[in-house]
Amino acid sequence: MRYIVGYTDTSAGRDALALGIRIARTTGARLDIVLVLANEERPTITPADPGYERFLRETADRWLDEALAAVPDDITAKSHLVYDESFAEGLLEASRILEGGLIIIGAARGGLLGRFTLGSVANTLLHSAVVPVALAPVGSRDLLEAQPTGGTISRITCAIGTRAGAHQLLDAAIVVAKNAGIPLRLVSLVALDQPEGAEHPEATARAEAHAAEVLAYASEHLPNDVTVTTEIAGGTRIEDAVATLEWKPAEIVLVGSSRLAAPKHLFLGSTAAKMLRELPVPMVVVPRDSVLTIGDPS
Amino acid sequence: MTPPETTPARDIAHPETTATGALSKKGLGAGTVGLVGAIVIGISCIAPAYTLTGALGPTVAEVGTHVPAIFLVGFIPMLLVAFGYRELNSRMPDSGTSFTWATRAFGPWVGWMAGWGLIAATIVVLSNLAGIAVDFFYLMLSQIFQNPDIANLTSNPFINVVTCLAFMLGATLISYRDMQTTQKLQYVLVGFQLLVMVLFGIVAFAHVAGGDAFDALPISLDWFNPFAVGSFSAFAAGLSLSIFIFWGWDVTLTMSEETKGSNSTPGKAATATVVIIVILYLFLSVALINYAGVGDGEFGLGNEDIQGNVFFSLAGPILGPLAILVSIAVLSSSAASLQSTFVSPARTLLAMGHYGALSPKFSKVHPKFFTPGYATIVSSIVASVFYAVMRFISEDVLWDTITTLGMMICFYYGLTAFACVWYFRKQWFSSARNFFFQFFSPLVGGLILGVLFFTTIIESANPDYGSGSNIGGVGLVFILGMIIIVAGIVIMLIQAKLRPDFFRNKTLARGIAGDANEADAALPE
Repeated sequence: MRYIVGYTDTSAGRDALALGIRIARTTGARLDIVLVLANEERPTITPADPGYERFLRETADRWLDEALAAVPDDITAKSHLVYDESFAEGLLEASRILEGGLIIIGAARGGLLGRFTLGSVANTLLHSAVVPVALAPVGSRDLLEAQPTGGTISRITCAIGTRAGAHQLLDAAIVVAKNAGIPLRLVSLVALDQPEGAEHPEATARAEAHAAEVLAYASEHLPNDVTVTTEIAGGTRIEDAVATLEWKPAEIVLVGSSRLAAPKHLFLGSTAAKMLRELPVPMVVVPRDSVLTIGDPS
Repeated sequence: MTPPETTPARDIAHPETTATGALSKKGLGAGTVGLVGAIVIGISCIAPAYTLTGALGPTVAEVGTHVPAIFLVGFIPMLLVAFGYRELNSRMPDSGTSFTWATRAFGPWVGWMAGWGLIAATIVVLSNLAGIAVDFFYLMLSQIFQNPDIANLTSNPFINVVTCLAFMLGATLISYRDMQTTQKLQYVLVGFQLLVMVLFGIVAFAHVAGGDAFDALPISLDWFNPFAVGSFSAFAAGLSLSIFIFWGWDVTLTMSEETKGSNSTPGKAATATVVIIVILYLFLSVALINYAGVGDGEFGLGNEDIQGNVFFSLAGPILGPLAILVSIAVLSSSAASLQSTFVSPARTLLAMGHYGALSPKFSKVHPKFFTPGYATIVSSIVASVFYAVMRFISEDVLWDTITTLGMMICFYYGLTAFACVWYFRKQWFSSARNFFFQFFSPLVGGLILGVLFFTTIIESANPDYGSGSNIGGVGLVFILGMIIIVAGIVIMLIQAKLRPDFFRNKTLARGIAGDANEADAALPE
């Protein structure tokens, strides 16, 4: 299993790398650190300058060397410099060729002036990736530094609803939890699904039924030593749901991309951004029609 | 959920695998920048609508009706130096260009000053570009709202400077973030610019034919005779201005190194670009002189009040309601030129930082946008301050900056030309090709530019020179030129104290074509 780390020489890039290290250590995968430079074939108003292009290449190689040096010895990692239209395109292409099982990117800080804001990059990735995309929140690096050698994923939380794709997502979460041997927490989003003004008690009852159902399914497919728990997300907005749950710093959240899209909102980026802003932990978005391979043993 | 991990892992970073070819799309593929694309980039860099509106007036002031002759002659030194530039660029492709090459040929001190000259020239042109854009911005607004008072806002120095700073900020942001327009948009903008200029000229001729031109001056063959220019100093001053209008053309020649699979495309593109540009310049300058004459009447090209920006004043009388097209053409041409010009000082500063000729901060590359971010911001700040100061001290800021620019181009292009001659000194006579491109062309081109540089310096000390701006009876252009050069020397001496390695030939060794250090000049690791 290979994970693609979308790297830039920024704190967002280092956050992505830190998260990559932790997930790779948990699942035994190797890392492919990918830095994307602008394709020279793009139309430019300024003529190409081979001297500058070479300088850029050397600078990028140096950045990648520094990134590799930051990877602990117990993780196998390799660096790649690729040229593409955009950061997202480059990662997708690298993931396709390297047969990556997961793409990891960092959340942009501020966002306003950053080209690779969560919105644009995550959007492109989530709409075209056939593999899951992990979004490392700000501060992922500090967490890894706090536990330099033993940093792994402590728990998997799977936010799950009833729409199409929910079942595949649940399967994926089960596979990951089983392979990594870490606890699984299932969070039912059914309560969030109710139309405005729906009867609250009824919604809660339905959510409880849903939670019991997924719990039974998960327990059936997981060995006894892997704990499974369920919770019901409260509130009517995703922000409320996130706020009411308890989070462990070293866990990750698995969400299905279509599940996240708010009514009438086709763009995943805004919801993903909203959730990521609220979430204190990394989020792995599983594309709706993807074949999930995270942590799947070869 | 079938794992795809069955094929052996491939490494995309190392060239021994086939996957590399698929991923690392390095360099321009054949056909991506084809003939038309290269011509479009060339014309976009020259920005004829902008250069002509800025240079026509000052040139008329120097040589009167002989503008077409001067424009033709001005191309010669530019072409000769461009040949040398191409030789150096193919031997030592380096983002420091003139700085790196002059250092390699003449050592650190001369190299430093060549880099300084390039940076100063581009910073001066940035401020002029932004100034022209401000004029046309308010002209366009006044045309849109049909209120002539708006066009006058540009003469208020505070409004002017604030608008100019806003434009500079926008251009800086675009350069800093490396935002590129699509190829289609570029084609449209360049095509539009050329069409509007042609329309402008045709309508001017139509006015002359219809008898309602401002001050019709019959076309004469004498306009094309460079020897008819009254004095050598007028000739030299006109020439140094016409150097400016071809500045940027050389990019079509140097683009050659990157176009794979088509050896003849760059040559053809450079030729086609220059033919289009020369014809356009001659056509428009003849049309406007024919229409408005060179007298000092309201719209006469000899009127000092309109000389800094002639299209600004002439678009209305010639095109009437269509004058807004000229505003849009000049604005879009300035915008494109602003973007391509910004790259050059930033990259030279980057190279100077990299080799230790300046603070290493300048060699920083932005981790997301991959641009020389620090150098871009510094160039922008200096250009903005330069413009703001000039707007307040100069009677005619656009004119003075253009003249200063001509002088600075002569300075660093001249040095670059001599660097070419000296660097290739051991192989001048090894072939007829070398003799022509590495010795004869750059030597003659460099000598012409050298003569122009010194003539301009001496002449510009006269308070009546150019626009007549002066401080205490000394021409402003002379003062500017001296400030730029002396400041360069002072900063160089400070750097020599702070960073002696570069000045002791330790980072970028002086050398000769074919020596062991040649590869080092191409930005070592």
